[in-house]
Amino acid sequence: MTDPQLVARAQEGDLPAFEELVKKYQREIYGLAYRLVLDAEEAKDLTQQAFMQAFVHIRGFRQQAQFRTWLFRIAINQCYNYLKNRKKFGDPVDCDEYVLVGEDSPEEELVAQEDHRRLYAALERLPAKQRAVITLKLEQGLSYEEISKVLGGTAGAARVNYCQALKTLKKYMQNEDDYEVAVRPYPKMVTRISRR
Amino acid sequence: MKWRCALIQRWLPAYPDGDLPSFWQAVVRSHLEKCPACREELAGLEAVVSSIKAAPRHEPDQAFWDNFNRELHLKLAQSVPEPPPARGFRIPYYLLGAPALAGLLLWLAFGYLNPERPGMPPQPQLSQEQKALEQTPAIPRLAAPAPAPEKSEAVVMVSQNGQDLHGDDDLDMDGDLDSTLAGMTETEREAFLKKVRQHEKDGSCTRESLIVSWA
Repeated sequence: MTDPQLVARAQEGDLPAFEELVKKYQREIYGLAYRLVLDAEEAKDLTQQAFMQAFVHIRGFRQQAQFRTWLFRIAINQCYNYLKNRKKFGDPVDCDEYVLVGEDSPEEELVAQEDHRRLYAALERLPAKQRAVITLKLEQGLSYEEISKVLGGTAGAARVNYCQALKTLKKYMQNEDDYEVAVRPYPKMVTRISRR
Repeated sequence: MKWRCALIQRWLPAYPDGDLPSFWQAVVRSHLEKCPACREELAGLEAVVSSIKAAPRHEPDQAFWDNFNRELHLKLAQSVPEPPPARGFRIPYYLLGAPALAGLLLWLAFGYLNPERPGMPPQPQLSQEQKALEQTPAIPRLAAPAPAPEKSEAVVMVSQNGQDLHGDDDLDMDGDLDSTLAGMTETEREAFLKKVRQHEKDGSCTRESLIVSWA
């Protein structure tokens, strides 16, 4: 059954039809929320809240856009509200959470882990909107037109936002080591003293 | 960095996917052929993109999704979809001030400033003769100045005749004793004062009422 048919049945109050939509999109929504809030439990809660909001307001959905785009927009708004309430864009991320068991040699795995650690640390420093643009473009594969429908604005603005986000991310990844030294100078100094 | 490189590098992240407008796609392509710095910048951006795409995603196991769906089903069963919002023509609340102001201005223009508004008394209908008189050019007339009214004389004449006056305008009703006495002869003044003293002794009336009654 296609999305418009499922949506039409859900608008009539058919809960199994809506749950079918949930099963179809829950991984994408969870991945987006996880990338934005960088916390597995919060991402799960935010995904459930997004589906709840979608179900409550599904009768107001006029099917002028795709259901998937509408769902992304709800999820991103939930994440924005969460980040706004937390007053900062992400707690310190434990990068060990991201490490998956690979089939490479131990040296290659160590290098890959270091690359991923730098990537996630740089992603954490990005503003939430730029993180959302990168996630929607590179991980969810949305076009600029669809990104503009999710985040608001025009397609050109989404493209400019993506370019800016990618350049900032590259700069952060290049300067990640310098940033760590600048942010945490005190523990290194203590370590140096204790070695003496 | 040259200004052209700065301009080109603004568009570089969108170049590999071909998302740029055709004009800019051609400009960037021709620039990259002869600029090693921009090629290096593009290689760095592509490395970032490939690292993001290659980064492991957090994929929960099936038990997580079973638990997720069970919790969500309980929440959805307790919630009710809201009715669809009204789709009729509605003015946003922030635009309600303009119609209100326009209505107020219309009311001022046609209601308050119009002399024929409902609150005003109706103007008397002029007859055709009066209208004709108003339309004829006004002829200047010579008129004698009206004689000034002599109130003191009126008081004296009333007292001499001993009759009541019909018009209130001729009487000195303000109760000022000095102004009343100023217009009297000696005999009238003595008679008046005598009467005043007698009534004040009796307490039958006040001085002001006596002045009026005397007049």
